[in-house]
Amino acid sequence: MVDRNTGIGGTPVEEVVVEASEALRDRAKSYTPDSSWARTVDHFKREWQLYVMLAPTIIWFLVFLYKPMYGLQIAFKDYSIFRGVANSPWVGLEHFQVLFSNDQFIRAVWNTIKISALNLIFGFPAPIILALMFNEILHATFKKTAQTIVYLPHFISSVIIAGIVITAFAPTGGIVNIILGWFGVDSIYFLTRPEWFRPIFVGTGIWQEAGFGSIVFLAAIAGVNPSLYESAVVDGANRWQMMWKITIPSILPTILIMLIIRIGNIMEVSFELVILLYQPATYETADVVNTWIYRQGLQSGQYDLAAAAGLFNALVAFVLVMTANTLSRRYSQTSLW
Amino acid sequence: MKKLSLTAAILATTAMATPSFADGHLRIVDEPLELTIQMNHARYPIYEEDWPVEQVARELTGIHLKNDTVGANMRTDENTGRTEALNLMLAGGAIPDIVGSSRIRDFVNQYGPEGAFIPLNDLIAEHAPNIAAYYATRPDIEAAVKASDGQMYYIPYLPDGKYGRAYWIRTDWLDALGLEMPETVDEYEAVLRAFKTQDPNGNGLDDEVPFFARQWPELIRLVTLWDGRAHGSDTYHDFLVEDGKIGHGYLGEGYRDGIANLARWYSDGLIDAEIFTRGSSARDFLLSENLGGSTHDWFASTSGYNRLSSEIDGFEFKAFAPPASPSGRRIEEHRRILVKPDGWAIGHTNEHVVETIKYFDFWFTEEGRRLANFGVEGQHYDMVDGKPIFKQEFLDAGPVNRSLYQVGSQLQGRGYFQDYNYEIQWSNEFALEGIALYDEGDYLIPDFLGVAFTADEQKVYDRTWGTIRDFMLERQQSWILGSGDVMADWDGYIAQLDSMGMQELLEVMQSAYDRQYGG
Repeated sequence: MVDRNTGIGGTPVEEVVVEASEALRDRAKSYTPDSSWARTVDHFKREWQLYVMLAPTIIWFLVFLYKPMYGLQIAFKDYSIFRGVANSPWVGLEHFQVLFSNDQFIRAVWNTIKISALNLIFGFPAPIILALMFNEILHATFKKTAQTIVYLPHFISSVIIAGIVITAFAPTGGIVNIILGWFGVDSIYFLTRPEWFRPIFVGTGIWQEAGFGSIVFLAAIAGVNPSLYESAVVDGANRWQMMWKITIPSILPTILIMLIIRIGNIMEVSFELVILLYQPATYETADVVNTWIYRQGLQSGQYDLAAAAGLFNALVAFVLVMTANTLSRRYSQTSLW
Repeated sequence: MKKLSLTAAILATTAMATPSFADGHLRIVDEPLELTIQMNHARYPIYEEDWPVEQVARELTGIHLKNDTVGANMRTDENTGRTEALNLMLAGGAIPDIVGSSRIRDFVNQYGPEGAFIPLNDLIAEHAPNIAAYYATRPDIEAAVKASDGQMYYIPYLPDGKYGRAYWIRTDWLDALGLEMPETVDEYEAVLRAFKTQDPNGNGLDDEVPFFARQWPELIRLVTLWDGRAHGSDTYHDFLVEDGKIGHGYLGEGYRDGIANLARWYSDGLIDAEIFTRGSSARDFLLSENLGGSTHDWFASTSGYNRLSSEIDGFEFKAFAPPASPSGRRIEEHRRILVKPDGWAIGHTNEHVVETIKYFDFWFTEEGRRLANFGVEGQHYDMVDGKPIFKQEFLDAGPVNRSLYQVGSQLQGRGYFQDYNYEIQWSNEFALEGIALYDEGDYLIPDFLGVAFTADEQKVYDRTWGTIRDFMLERQQSWILGSGDVMADWDGYIAQLDSMGMQELLEVMQSAYDRQYGG
């Protein structure tokens, strides 16, 4: 993803590459395979450990991502579980017509996009800022403690998180309303007010995931060549300048890759948390595509309709991730592929 | 040697237990026959082969059920779902000989006509005299279990007893404030207001919660106090039937007026401020913290909270008759439904269809019904004056219904006819007193027993109902919470429902109803 021959100063990358290719050439000479088939066999004999290590991921992709694609056809069929995927009759685009003539589905699409946009605007920078802040902490024990504390919410299940949120925002005895009460504000039943759903949901997401998300950026920061900082110190740069001029530019490729991945997941709002927190009273802002699919499709057994909605979701995500990747490649030379 | 003597001991016990029913008149097969079963009882998602009840049934009939259950029905929502395991079973491709589950009706009525389950009409007529005899006395129930093609695809679990939920109130709070039991909705409101303002728990804090509910749709049921209707059956937000006409409670003017009043109650603090998010622990928490004043909940489980009198001085929680509406009507909308959508069916690959229907019929014989209701004679109950009476140690071993599930009785995934006597034996005095009160007043109204759709009708239902229900609930909650005025919004609400296909949906329901119940 990143051109490894540049930007890693001080490491004799080129020498390593030259040595490796020479070694390969020597080996190729000594074996002199007579056909490409023999070369392939030879290649597997030498590198089989790598393929063994790769196998679980490939199997995972085949079983959980590629095989289910066969079932996607039910989006265009009148699916009956008993008749099965192959034997259910085709109905063309009927399910898509139902979807797009349904106001609640359209509303759910917009809600998904709005929640994701808020997540992107507020949720995406949070772990980066957190990582930069951790990087500036010098006291080791304090740093470790702070990191542990912000990582912890990630390991709590959504059900517990929802319980904490419901209790904290309760109109009687909830901590938020108690604090508001000190300032003379009347208690608010937050979780039944559509206008409060998005802030609470996005805020909960940041609280839960920002800490854990910062790990990847901390790792990127750790990979920055220390000699850059050393020379900056010699040149009289202060910490603030080093952060802006060295740390951030150095981790920018990581940031962009994470951003592209994030954009690819834009239609995937963590819907289990939505289900735990929403109410009919807040459907107006809280109902996202996946919760709509869950209610209309899965609970009432309309798998074909749910598959159509899921396919639509995937198409939108595909277009978004392609666009983000292209833009990123064009303007920063960093891209997923 | 030790093993041998153990086996001998077991054989001896079995031999001792068998004689009373060893005459073999219930035997279905000469050679023992094994049938596979999928069993998704809502509270016990597996069929245990060593349940005492299964063992006795095996002894009596010669048919041995082998557990072949996949998945578990999760209780995510009281109103929907619970058929995940059935869908999983069907998607897996292998249907066991017998499929028993909660919420099985819509499932078998959809996939039965497609060929996944055996139609039962002829089998019942020829081989199941006890089931046939039951249906002969209850043609309405026979109609309710049929699919759109007129066939029965499952044998239902038939609850006994009429009463489910009732209105409950802290009578000791009434006494403390010098109030009478409320007889009308205005008196009820005055009582709730007094609970709110006059500190009946005496702790000096304004912390009482006058009306609360474990399931927030129970709050909506209060619209019956203003001549509205909420839930047409024991399924929340269900359609209702009045004089052979299908309708929906949320379309009525009584509902509109009721919601307007409930919105007022809510803003005045007479209803739990957290009614929509408090959830299933509401009753437990609010009663044991001495905060809750009144609710609408089940007789048996709610009466049990009177045990709190050992912790809270004077605690007394009693059922009271439904308060009269402004027009003087007193109704209790909730009742124990006549026929549950639960029961069991025969899978299409079953090679012993006749034996299976005879086995189903066994549970409708006197002995089978007793087994399904009370467990095993000598182990869980004794016959006293010709009646099954639970053993004291069995009654003392915790909640009796749970104990019964654990021995294989009272399974909702089994087609059987419940015997209410099983419940009376462990209902406490408060429940029995309440039931007597409701019996005297005759407050119950008929339930909507559901309809089976043809494929075309099903399409209309699928397309419209989910959307309509969501919209209704969205408006309902926001009216109660005070964002929107039901009186001002009403015409727009009805127009919006019509544009969503409400009339079409009602027509489809009506035609299905007329076909099924003979118009």
